Amino acid sequence: MLRLRFHGRGGQGAKIASRILGTAAFFEGYYAQDFPLYGAERRGAPISAFTRISKEPILERGIIAEPDSVFVLDETLLDDPHAHPLSGLKEHGIVFVNTARSAVELKDTYKISVQVITLDITKISLKMLGKPILSALAGGIAARIVNLGEDSLKKSIEKELSEIITEKEFLLKNKEASQYCFHAIKPIEIKIAKGIHKANPVITVPFETALISSPTIYTTGNTPLRKTGNWRVFKPVWNYDICTKCMVCVVRCPDACISVNEDGYPYTDYDNCKGCMICVEECPVKAIEGMREAHAW
Amino acid sequence: MIKEMLTGNAAAAWGVRLAEVDYVPAYPITPQTEIIEMLARWISNGDVDTKFVTLDSEHSMITAAGAASATGVRVFTATSSQGLLYGFEMLYTVAGWRVPLVMVNVSRALSSPITLEPDHNDILAARDAGFLQIHCETCQEVLDSVLIAYRLAEDERVLLPVLINMDGFHLSFTREPVEVPDREQVVRFLPPYRPKHAFFKASQPMAQGTAVIGGSGYSYFKYQMHFASMGALDVYREVSEEFGRLFGRSYNTTEGYMIDDAEYILIMTNSFSTLGKAAVKRAREKGVKAGLLRLRLLRPFPELGIKEAIRKAKAVAIVDQNISVGKGGILYSEISSVMYNEKERPLLLSFIGGLGGKTISSEEFEFIFDRMIEAVDTGVGKVPYLLYTEMEWKEMEKLKNVAGKGNKNYSNCRGETHNITEHGKE
Ligand code: SF4
Ligand code: SF4
Repeated sequence: MLRLRFHGRGGQGAKIASRILGTAAFFEGYYAQDFPLYGAERRGAPISAFTRISKEPILERGIIAEPDSVFVLDETLLDDPHAHPLSGLKEHGIVFVNTARSAVELKDTYKISVQVITLDITKISLKMLGKPILSALAGGIAARIVNLGEDSLKKSIEKELSEIITEKEFLLKNKEASQYCFHAIKPIEIKIAKGIHKANPVITVPFETALISSPTIYTTGNTPLRKTGNWRVFKPVWNYDICTKCMVCVVRCPDACISVNEDGYPYTDYDNCKGCMICVEECPVKAIEGMREAHAW
Repeated sequence: MIKEMLTGNAAAAWGVRLAEVDYVPAYPITPQTEIIEMLARWISNGDVDTKFVTLDSEHSMITAAGAASATGVRVFTATSSQGLLYGFEMLYTVAGWRVPLVMVNVSRALSSPITLEPDHNDILAARDAGFLQIHCETCQEVLDSVLIAYRLAEDERVLLPVLINMDGFHLSFTREPVEVPDREQVVRFLPPYRPKHAFFKASQPMAQGTAVIGGSGYSYFKYQMHFASMGALDVYREVSEEFGRLFGRSYNTTEGYMIDDAEYILIMTNSFSTLGKAAVKRAREKGVKAGLLRLRLLRPFPELGIKEAIRKAKAVAIVDQNISVGKGGILYSEISSVMYNEKERPLLLSFIGGLGGKTISSEEFEFIFDRMIEAVDTGVGKVPYLLYTEMEWKEMEKLKNVAGKGNKNYSNCRGETHNITEHGKE
């Protein structure tokens, strides 16, 4: 059985990518199972999704702790303490990362010992779709890496995306982008290794008084400050030459990140702006531009 | 018939669509909401002809479902966890009206502490209300159970509402291949609902759900509900046989896995049974004659099926994914009561695991089999074992540290100093 894991940010398309892969495998006659995991889901927050592909009926459920391959849709996740996309990856595992950087560079920066494959699929999606929506592209890459056929991929994209994309032309572009990515990756063979299983004995749980065992937190300030600026893959940038100070962006920012400077122009708090691009969308004179950025902090 | 990848929630929605339900009262709660979203989309697209109403709470929602069912239409609704408990009063009430509505519960552990992942304290809290209960392991089973549930509930020998249970996340959001039957095939199995006992019609006045004062009336009605529920076992067998003939998939009240010659049997319910089956396979590879019995019908309780399946085993481990605080596993108690008067009976061991969606690891399953084998040697089993692993404990210790309950002194809100470890040590 192949166990595959996708890591992305809410809204990037990791869940749909896992579904595209699941459906493509199903079309090829395999037993398949896919499953996303998100807490209180928000655009930009790290999420993961899982696909199992097997010749035998699948007697597993729930998260995949020891994947054969992981697909990372945003390089910044490699450094995110809440995502740790490489955890549990098997010895001969394969890591795909969406980045403009080379595999060698990445292996060096993040000290990755297994095989790394990189491709800047955000750039491809911007070019081919006009939007950074990565589901079809990541689905194409995953299908190639796990060795599924192009026809199953095409059928799967049609099935999965026609339910959520009503515009025919956009659907077609997604298909093309996914095939482009499929062919951009050389076929590889994933060696299925045994997981490195750490002994984890069953214990007897001791009694502890309610002082300890109630869900009460005594310490103050124990929650690490999480700056949602880290979620951003696109950054809003203002052009004051065009801005009419209409204040639309200020009221529409869902996180109240936008303030007004002394001259009456809006600016955002980049530590917390999560890059949702609502302001870009809402500005009536298009004075705000979304600029791609890749950073990890 | 088409086969496609569906989540448990989507499978439930498909079941409702194929059953041509007339009325859906709704109130959202994670992880059930997707069922209602799908139905709402189909209704607004005109794919299905169903009245849809959003209510202000689960209490109102179950009331509306019961009331609509009492007018003689086919009704569906769904909830989960806190929502089920919020509507609790009305579960007993509508069951007493003897109306055959179907409700899906997507299991999610109960507060507190609040969480999102499944265990079965929510659905088992409803076990005495008069609803029949079907518990599902796969997404396919969810779809099929909706169809079976209507046939069962609407049978004149039964006329009780049905709750169908699926685990949150592990089924609700998990996609697997599901066969969606054709509408023509479904109509042959599930004809339109034509009630004779509870309906509204012009010039035919009746009073439903009337009051009784005095225990004899009350007892009469309750005993009749009990008879109807117990009788539903036979009706279920008929219905599921017919379902099997038409659709090629059959579901008994219980499901045995590698059980025929099994000496050591796990008893489980719902989606974690899949993990139990994998554990049974692994145990068999090691030479242990293991098997698994999955309970599908929880109300009525399939006593006979259980007795027959486990009578000859050496030891049986009941894995309860619930905890009756102050007693232990709910199903352990129920199964013990079934076996106590039997001459031939296995040792019964009780394990609690998978609370709040905690996984049951392969080590924990091995632990269960080891305890069964050990119990057969010694003739006694401890009750209950609370499954927990060393890694989980270490993780918990870390969290306790963060919460100020670690290896150090802390002061409480009154400024008094305590040493946590002293309290914490056994
Ligand atoms: S992208 Fe714009 S709207 Fe979104 S959080 Fe940042 S400033 Fe606010
Ligand atoms: S919405 Fe556009 S024009 Fe209006 S204040 Fe914001 S940037 Fe300026």
